[in-house]
Amino acid sequence: MAGRRIVVTSGKGGVGKTTTTANLGAALAKRGMRVVLVDADIGLRNLDLVLGLEKRIVFDLVEVAEGRCQLRQALIKDKRFESLAILPAAQTRDKDAITETQFEAIVAQAAEQADYVLIDCPAGIEGGFRNAVAGAKEAIVVTTPEVSAIRDADRVVGKLNDRGLPMRLIVNRLRPEMVRTGDMLSVEDVCEILAIELLGIIPDDAEVIDTTNRGEPIVLDPNARLGVIYDKIARRLEGEMVPFTSFDAQGFFGKLFGALKAG
Amino acid sequence: MAMHQPLAQEVTAPAPKLGRAIVVTSGKGGVGKTTTTANLGTALAQRGAKVALVDADVGLRNLDIVLGLESRVKYHVLDVLEDKVSLDEALVPDKHSETLVLLAAAQAREKDEVDTEKMRALMQRLREHYDYVLIDCPAGIELGFKNAIVGADEAIVVCTPEVSAVRDVDRVVGLLGNRFKPQLIINRLRPQLVKKGKMLSVEDVNAILRLPLLGVIADEPEIIITTNKGEPLALRHDSETANAYHAIAARIAGEDVAAPAPELKESLIDKLGSFFGGKRA
Amino acid sequence: MSLLRGRGLGLEVHLAGWDFDTAIAELIARLSERPEFYRGTTASVTLGEQPLAPEQLEALRSVLASAGIELGPIAETLPDQELARRRALRPKNETDAKLSDSARSLVADFAGARADIAERRKRGETSVRRANVAAAATHVVAPLQVAPPPGTLYHVGTLRGGQALHHAGNIVVIGDVNPGTELVATGDIVVFGRLLGVAHAGAQGDNDAKVYALHLQATQLRIATCIAVDEERSRDASEPEVAFVRDGRITIVPFSKAAEVPG
Repeated sequence: MAGRRIVVTSGKGGVGKTTTTANLGAALAKRGMRVVLVDADIGLRNLDLVLGLEKRIVFDLVEVAEGRCQLRQALIKDKRFESLAILPAAQTRDKDAITETQFEAIVAQAAEQADYVLIDCPAGIEGGFRNAVAGAKEAIVVTTPEVSAIRDADRVVGKLNDRGLPMRLIVNRLRPEMVRTGDMLSVEDVCEILAIELLGIIPDDAEVIDTTNRGEPIVLDPNARLGVIYDKIARRLEGEMVPFTSFDAQGFFGKLFGALKAG
Repeated sequence: MAMHQPLAQEVTAPAPKLGRAIVVTSGKGGVGKTTTTANLGTALAQRGAKVALVDADVGLRNLDIVLGLESRVKYHVLDVLEDKVSLDEALVPDKHSETLVLLAAAQAREKDEVDTEKMRALMQRLREHYDYVLIDCPAGIELGFKNAIVGADEAIVVCTPEVSAVRDVDRVVGLLGNRFKPQLIINRLRPQLVKKGKMLSVEDVNAILRLPLLGVIADEPEIIITTNKGEPLALRHDSETANAYHAIAARIAGEDVAAPAPELKESLIDKLGSFFGGKRA
Repeated sequence: MSLLRGRGLGLEVHLAGWDFDTAIAELIARLSERPEFYRGTTASVTLGEQPLAPEQLEALRSVLASAGIELGPIAETLPDQELARRRALRPKNETDAKLSDSARSLVADFAGARADIAERRKRGETSVRRANVAAAATHVVAPLQVAPPPGTLYHVGTLRGGQALHHAGNIVVIGDVNPGTELVATGDIVVFGRLLGVAHAGAQGDNDAKVYALHLQATQLRIATCIAVDEERSRDASEPEVAFVRDGRITIVPFSKAAEVPG
């Protein structure tokens, strides 16, 4: 049976689509799934960077579409995992270098040999977004708990609805302390506005920037709390009912505030 | 614009100076283009300049939120471009700064509905009436980007100290071509992380970009709070970040002010970061 | 091949394969769909087998002029994506290089090269070898040529991510080549600056081609069908170096020792 085809999108740029695609893909691969990650951001490719695979790119998505190489020649296997491969985007081309039909065909082909194909969607809702969504049968919408991001996510949810794609939500970069002081929307607020099923809550973590700069997904670090969270998200994708863990906001703000959920 | 009787000597007076149209762009999303546009616009207006802010992100408009004007927006850029309303009817006066106006983007429309040539002409009209026209560019390098730069004659690129952002900004600088000599703002720097080697430094970023530096802005929780509330930080003078925006505005205006660079003191963000960090260092 | 292609803010008209009168009718129809879109821009034209008769040229010029488009450069060779881009990046005083059929597909088939890398990894070897110059060949080699051979593309200025230079001949860049940039030459590549992108010399199979740089820190180096990735560390090239193929592998030596290198 062909694998699931999921686009990771957001509307707003910079909320964590690429980081989420990379880490969620890695978490699924760690659980034994065969995973292919597809970078749909032609011209502004970053998925390869975030996984530290840039140096090994020989062929890319556009060359596959143009028939200059086979899909299997373009896929780069990530040596750190049993079954994780990425199809990089082209960097020296534009988003009009590929059509929705071509993209869909490539994703379908990738799905024949994988359990999951995760598509890293570009920011915005223009041609690049349409191409990315054309390849998917499901969607993960990523947002941060900020008004602009939620507004953009809402627009994207509308467009995905029009296409009948089932979707789930990841709230990224939560800062529980700011939620407590009323300076940031809570996850409940976000879910109420967007009204789609919650898949994961990821707290803000300074380590993530460094790991993406170095090309080492955070799930590789057994001590990283975020690694555990991505693993839980992977399990929920697989259909497991994993509760959202709570953690106490200790330290700087003391025990005055009760448990805040994340995970 | 005040109307007055032309005097004899004004017949030979030179044409009024065109305002400067500056596009604020980056390629990468989420680096702070909109926040920067709103704050720089506010800072310039606070100095008495007449400023028009244009949200070029059709379909994903956000500049109005960041200025706290979303409930006051009645018409948008496409309404003007399609001649449904006049430019004056569409311009929304800012809540806080007297000489600042906003031309909002449409929310329920698409970027390919914008006529490039008309956009260019509209920016030209704005330049005739305002000292500065700041254009908030959407993320990406597609049609939205092209329509945002068409009416500008200067560019500011905003970059965060992350490898992906630097690569995307580099791409955009290449696409801007020889018409622009972009200047750089580095946003969301966390000096403590740079010191620990966990974040790119200003030198790392500009080693690739090689652009004249307008300024560096540190990451502060105040920024998110003020954008959520719709009260640009540049309205204040008590925060380092607000002062950074003021310094940048002064530099844009041609004053010989040093480029702001955040000090290496532990900011509130770093304190929050330290106990959320994955590794217990 | 489609008749019209938007490129940046301008237009490309591809007449290859089109009957001229049909093409004109199509052009009129397409331009009248968006009459103002290209006003003020320039259209470049590429022809197919037939050159244009004077009256055809005039017809083309007036159709474009009625949409406010200026008729720009007309090229006689069949366009390639790479060729069009190269033209855009070319400095003004370069002579036109006409590409032969074989030169048009500048990107070699890397299937063999990738298998080669995989083999090396299995044996635990790295792709790039530092030459022990002291033990290098002892025979005297002809001194390096001073005058550049004909057909060299000179580019003055820094190349930014996403830009590509593809040339049948040598490429000389006076400036930096940023990451995310692609240089493909059938001959040598010389960078008077930092080479951080991908460089492919000898792209049509010339194993004797070389890559020279003041700071050789390429993301990936390719010469003919050899590919090298420096996996040991991100290179901190402190002196000018040259890369060449020896024994089927890419080797890098300091510039000062280049004279001792065969080929």
